[in-house]
Amino acid sequence: MMKKYFLLFITALISICMFGQHKNNAILGDLIIYHAGSLSVPFKEIAAEFNKLYPDVKILLESAGSVASARKITDLNRPCDIMASSDYGVIDNMLIPKYADWNIKFVSNELSIVYQEKSRLAGQINSKNWYELLMKKEVAFGRADPNADPCGYRTVISFQLAENFYKKPGLAKMISDKDQNYIRPKEVDLLALLESGSIDYIFIYRSVAIQHNLKYLALPDEINLKSMDFAAQYATAAIEINGKEPGKKETVKGEPMVYGVTMLRDAPNKPAAIAFLQFLLARDKGMKIMEKNGQPSVLPMVSKNYDKLPKELKPFAKQEK
Amino acid sequence: MKRYQSIQLVFILLGSLVLLFILAPLLGMFLKTSPQSLFETAKDKEVTGSIWLTIWTSMAATSLFAVAAIPLAYLLARKKFPLKKLVTGIIDLPIVIPHSAAGIAILGFVSRDTVMGKIGSAIGLNFIGNPAGIAIAMAFVSIPYLINAARDGFAGVPERIEKAALTLGATPARVFFTISLPLAWRNVVSGLILMFARGMSEFGAVIVVAYHPMITPVLIYERFGAFGLKYARPVSVLFILISLALFIMLRWLAKERNSEVAK
Repeated sequence: MMKKYFLLFITALISICMFGQHKNNAILGDLIIYHAGSLSVPFKEIAAEFNKLYPDVKILLESAGSVASARKITDLNRPCDIMASSDYGVIDNMLIPKYADWNIKFVSNELSIVYQEKSRLAGQINSKNWYELLMKKEVAFGRADPNADPCGYRTVISFQLAENFYKKPGLAKMISDKDQNYIRPKEVDLLALLESGSIDYIFIYRSVAIQHNLKYLALPDEINLKSMDFAAQYATAAIEINGKEPGKKETVKGEPMVYGVTMLRDAPNKPAAIAFLQFLLARDKGMKIMEKNGQPSVLPMVSKNYDKLPKELKPFAKQEK
Repeated sequence: MKRYQSIQLVFILLGSLVLLFILAPLLGMFLKTSPQSLFETAKDKEVTGSIWLTIWTSMAATSLFAVAAIPLAYLLARKKFPLKKLVTGIIDLPIVIPHSAAGIAILGFVSRDTVMGKIGSAIGLNFIGNPAGIAIAMAFVSIPYLINAARDGFAGVPERIEKAALTLGATPARVFFTISLPLAWRNVVSGLILMFARGMSEFGAVIVVAYHPMITPVLIYERFGAFGLKYARPVSVLFILISLALFIMLRWLAKERNSEVAK
C-alpha cells in the first residue's frame, strides 16, 4: 500500500518539476500586437509562419491607425506586447519614454495611386498626366485623413512635392480641395470605397495594392516618399496637422516613409514578443514575407536608443554615431 | 400577503441592479470629466455643429421613413399573407448585421454607378460624404425598431372597433387616421423615439458612407484618436446630456398628446 502511494508521489514530483522546467523555457501564451492597417496582410502571413515554429503562442493581431493604436496604449491602458507603426515617429513621440524604450525601423513603403480596371480613365493614366486626370469632374479619388493617419499627411506632402516636381504652381491646393467627401480616417477604409466603385483612384501605399491585387500607378521617386536618396527634397514640403489638443497644430515635414516596431515596457509576454521580433526582423523569415508583400526592408537603420535594445535585437539596428 | 411582498422586493432589487448597470459606466465617465472641460467643449463650434447635425439627420431619417414604415407595420399587424414570417425576419435583419457590413452594403447601394446614385446625381446629390448618405445609414440600422413597435401598437387595437367604424360608413383611410393610429399612438411614438435614438448613435455604418461631415459618434472617435480620452470624454458627456434632455422632452410631449386623445 505504502509503496503504491510512494511511487505515485515520486511520479507527481517529477512531473511537476518537468512541467516547471518546460514552462520556464517555452515560448507560449497570448501575444498582443497592435499594428498599422497597411501591415494587416503581411503580419497575418508572418504570424502564421511564426506559429509553425512556436505553435503554443496565440497571436492576437489588432489593426488600427498608427495614432489610434498608440492611444490604446497611452489612454486606454490596454495591454500590448508589440506595436508596429507605419510611421516610426508615432512611436518616438507618443510611446517613448513612458511606455517604450526603443524603436526599430524595419521596412519602407511608397505612395502610389491605386485603381481598378473599371476606374474611369484607367487606360489613360500615367505618371505624367495623373494630376490632370484626377482633376476632371467625372473622376473621383479618395485619400486618408491627415489628422488621423500617416498615409493622410504623407499624401498631402506628396501633393506639395508634385507641385514643385511638375512645376505647376497651385497644384497642391487644387488637388487637396477636390473630392474631400472621400477622405477617410484610415487608408484601408479607402479600399471599400474603391472596390464598391464609389471612387476611381485612391492615394495609398503600393504594398496595399500588391496585397489586394489592385492596379497601381508608380509615382516618381521624387514625390513618392520612398527613397532615402531624396530625403533632402522631401524635407522641403510640410503640412500642419492637429496637435496635442483641439485647436493646436503641429508641423510635419516630409521624409522617407519608414515603419517602426517596438516592444512595450509593460509587455505581458516578453519572451514571446522577443521571439516574434527576432522572427519578424530575420532576413530569411519575416523580412522575406514583407518584401514579397511589397514592403522593402531598411534594416539595419540607426536607432536613437540603441543602448536600450534587448541584446537579441541589437543586430537589427545601428548605433547613432 | 408575505409572499406577495417578498417578490416585490426581489423585483425592486433586480431592477436596481439593471439601472445600476446602465448608470455606473456613465457616472464613471461623468465624474472623470471636469466642469471646465465640459464648458469649453460646449463652446466649441465643431462639437455643437456636430451634435446639431446628428440630431437633425436622425430626425429627418426617422420622419421620412416613418411615412412608409408605419403603413407597413399596420399591414403586418392586420393582414395574413404568404411568407409573412420571412418578411418579419427580414425586418429584423438590420439589427443583427454588423455595422461596418451594413455601411458597405449601403455604399454598394448608393454609390455613383447604381440606380440610386444616378438618381441622386440627376438632382445634384451625392450620397457619399453628405448628410443624405448619413441619414440613409442611420435609417437602415434603426428602422426595425419603429416597424416592430408600431406593429405591436396596431396589434393592440381591437379589430372590432375598426370594423364597427367601417359598418357605420367610415372609409378605411378615416378609420386608420382617426381610430387605429391614435389608439396605437403610444407605441408608435415609442418606436419613433427608439428609431431616432438608435440613428443618432450609429457609427460603423455611417463612417463607411460619410466621414465628413462628422456626426458626433464619428467626432468622438476622431477626437479620441487625435487627442486622447481627455478630449473625447467631454464631447461624449455633452452629447449624452443633450440626448437625455431631448428624449425626456419627447416622451413628455407624447404623453400630453396621448392624454388629449383619451379625452
